[in-house]
Amino acid sequence: MRFVDEFRDPELGRALAGEILSLVQPGRHYKLMEVCGGHTHSIYKYGVDDLLPANVELVHGPGCPVCVIPMGRVDDGIALAHEPGVIFTCFGDMMRVPGSRGSLLDAKAKGADIRMVYSPLDALRIAKQNPEREVVFFAIGFETTAPSTALTLRRARVEGVRNFSCMCSHVTIVPPLRALLESPDLRLDGFIGPGHVSTVVGGRPFEFIPADYGKPVVIAGFEPLDILQAVTMILTQLAQGRCQVENQYRRVVPYEGNLRALEVMAEVFELRPHFEWRGLGFISHSGLKLSDAYADLDAERRFSIPGVRVADPKACQCGEVLKGVIKPWECKVFGTACTPERPIGTCMVSSEGACAAYYNFGRFAREREVV
Amino acid sequence: MSALVRVPGSAAVPLPEPTCGWQHCITCGDDGQPMAVLAVDEERGLALCSDDQGSHCTVEIALVAPVGTGDRLLVHAGTAIGHLESA
Repeated sequence: MRFVDEFRDPELGRALAGEILSLVQPGRHYKLMEVCGGHTHSIYKYGVDDLLPANVELVHGPGCPVCVIPMGRVDDGIALAHEPGVIFTCFGDMMRVPGSRGSLLDAKAKGADIRMVYSPLDALRIAKQNPEREVVFFAIGFETTAPSTALTLRRARVEGVRNFSCMCSHVTIVPPLRALLESPDLRLDGFIGPGHVSTVVGGRPFEFIPADYGKPVVIAGFEPLDILQAVTMILTQLAQGRCQVENQYRRVVPYEGNLRALEVMAEVFELRPHFEWRGLGFISHSGLKLSDAYADLDAERRFSIPGVRVADPKACQCGEVLKGVIKPWECKVFGTACTPERPIGTCMVSSEGACAAYYNFGRFAREREVV
Repeated sequence: MSALVRVPGSAAVPLPEPTCGWQHCITCGDDGQPMAVLAVDEERGLALCSDDQGSHCTVEIALVAPVGTGDRLLVHAGTAIGHLESA
């Protein structure tokens, strides 16, 4: 299969693993963060970490869009879904994220009209098919998904669909990265940059990482060889004393990003002063809301939303996992009280969540031979 | 009931119902899917695309237009966000 088979070649994988081994300095511990949940999923699905020397540690970042949604936001969605006449639409994983009194799936079981969609366009289609109902789309995701929501809102405006609105919970990737870099908990040597977010935003937004913090960034694809090559490129930069943003995923990511996507996002969205991230707290200018030009399509202005802040369950350590401070299996409830079937924390909900990736692919802690 | 997508010069094709297995949700997971363009409806800014398994879906192409039949696109949440070959 084109674009797939050539990036899963075992011989090339072994060669890259050998190159990585030759690049690491014995006695030095390398801590690299993969920002995107898609990378976390691929790393444990394909066992990429087993090909790395023991002193190269991959730390999971906050790039799973489902995992970073706070409980209070889920409660707000459930409250909206219970409004009379509302059809509440959202992506699949979002339905299983626990709020303080159950998930959207539980609310659906209790009678709320909640429907899973695969794209914002599906939600708009439901609105056109049900003109007597109010259809709300719960928009989540990073810059990969935000253009799709923006285009759908623009289409709703052009087509005059008045019974459609959006509860916008889109987030941006750069502010949490800056927050992580400022965190005293974590000492990182480099970043595997998010491939598909970069398709939209390009490489420039990450240039502050080498410029201000002296860490290399390599934007990478999602196949096993993509990730191994990205690790090789980061280690090469470190070995050569270089520090810059490099693009391993050039077959998809133009360095300038998708200018049309950025344009439509700038038209439809504006930055919130603050947005709460699960486990990370409030981060300035990290969330998107609808701009005044699209205020009539904003569910938060059309409906009354509780907006109550809810603390995470005490047993759940998603915050530490999202910051890469602990490994998923080090959480007290991992694999016991918290499983993909009955998740307590968001990291166990989405397959891109670090805990679910560990749980599904059996990557439990084990010692590896130090080079 | 599935919706229909109509592309000029071709029969209406039923859209698949959205499915989102718990093992992998490419929409929530910020993942993109490579797809090939089968037909283009320039007027509506949509294209009928097929993934490598042969599943069809309608894709918003405003961010990558112009596209032609046979082009390969990176699709996320029903929207093409990049060309595969041209990058």
